[in-house]
Amino acid sequence: MTLFAVTRLELRRLFVRPLGWTIGALALAELGWRFALLLQLFLLNQVKLAALPDGPGYTDLVAVRLLSSLITGSPMPFGVTELALLLVPLLTMSTLASERSAGTLSLLFSTGISPSSIVLGKYLAVLIWLALWLLLTLLVPVTLAHGVTLDWGMIAAATLGAFLALAVLAAIGVASSAFASHPAIAAAGSFMVGVALNCVNLGAQLAGINVGFINWLAMSTHEENLLRGLVSSADVVWFLLAIVVALAIGVRRLDADKERG
Amino acid sequence: MRDLSLSLETGQILGLLGVNGAGKSTTLSLIAGALTPDSGTIRLQGQDFLEHPELARQAIGWLPEAAPLWPELTIREHLDAHGRLRGLAGTRLKAAGDAVLDRLELQDLAQRLAGVLSQGQRQRLGLACALLHRPALLVLDEPANALDPVQVATLRKLLRELAAEGTAVILSTHQLVEVTAVCTRVAILHEGVLRHDAPLSPDGHAVLEKTFFDIAMAQAA
Repeated sequence: MTLFAVTRLELRRLFVRPLGWTIGALALAELGWRFALLLQLFLLNQVKLAALPDGPGYTDLVAVRLLSSLITGSPMPFGVTELALLLVPLLTMSTLASERSAGTLSLLFSTGISPSSIVLGKYLAVLIWLALWLLLTLLVPVTLAHGVTLDWGMIAAATLGAFLALAVLAAIGVASSAFASHPAIAAAGSFMVGVALNCVNLGAQLAGINVGFINWLAMSTHEENLLRGLVSSADVVWFLLAIVVALAIGVRRLDADKERG
Repeated sequence: MRDLSLSLETGQILGLLGVNGAGKSTTLSLIAGALTPDSGTIRLQGQDFLEHPELARQAIGWLPEAAPLWPELTIREHLDAHGRLRGLAGTRLKAAGDAVLDRLELQDLAQRLAGVLSQGQRQRLGLACALLHRPALLVLDEPANALDPVQVATLRKLLRELAAEGTAVILSTHQLVEVTAVCTRVAILHEGVLRHDAPLSPDGHAVLEKTFFDIAMAQAA
């Protein structure tokens, strides 16, 4: 299928460019630092926590908190979600913007591949890269599995939440790249949209206003539930909806490119 | 483009001439499937390829102006990517890649990154990608750009060979001499309108030059 030919091409481009490796490695190093700090905090409080009935354990305080600062509530190096707000735009900025500036987008059109296959193919490649990055991140807390009791269900829910957040940011990044002529503009655009979507309800919350719609609109609302181990179809549907809307906007833009030149 | 109607037979080489902005590249982009026309049809081997875009994948090879490439990929990776996008895989892809590398004398450069190639090498790689799947129609936009005289002569020989093998070729150029050297027919576009479409006369260059300037200057006057 030509969609997978686009995915393969994009994966190859991602893996031969130093940018992907560099930001991936830097992000993992930062997460390693966060893990060490979280583990240190856990060990310091381990005795007190053990005395609590149903007190939080290693999974709650270290493994899941590696993924996001949303539920940490204390100053820490960034978790996966916060890093992704910066990392994903850098990863996706070239997917279509550089194709447009280099003229290779027209070549892709000329092979008879539909704009939707181009967008989906590129998106799939970014998603595979991000899944590998998330997998490497998760290996860090899981390395201690022999010495601690892991709540695998909660880890699975939190992983799903982090992955869906990455998938939404990737879809926004690809859509932003579809609109931009230069990768830097695409990165700036998707960073701003990603940040806005993640904390659109922040102002209302600070003002003590708890409006249903604005909370529903914020990605953090839905991710937080998953990070706490609560898998709700309403939250999953929100993520899928956000992905579909972003990709549809990207496809529409490429359609217009093909019509207008 | 307005009221443009062109047809091309197997083995013909059509030279598309016109001043800057005449609509040559737009015409080629439409034929190659990179742009969608507002109206009209483009038929290829009897089928409307706007309705069947997969036809373009198999039957058209396109070299746009300035050979767009992915600088981070090698020549071999370009051919692999283009082949897969055109539906080739496995041993067929490898054989097709080897054949065009040989034909365009790029075998020794196969592992070189496109980003470090000279302009002439880039142009040859672009041509290799266009030829990889043995298209029935080859669409070339200024293919002799950045080629040295030896490479231009090799390109002309290649185009004649392809035509002899049954490939139809559309060649856009600013150079009248390029048209008279290889084309069997010439079309002249001016301001998006087809002003001339005829076989190349035996006394070639002088007649073509007069026709071309008559069309271009009449508008200016």
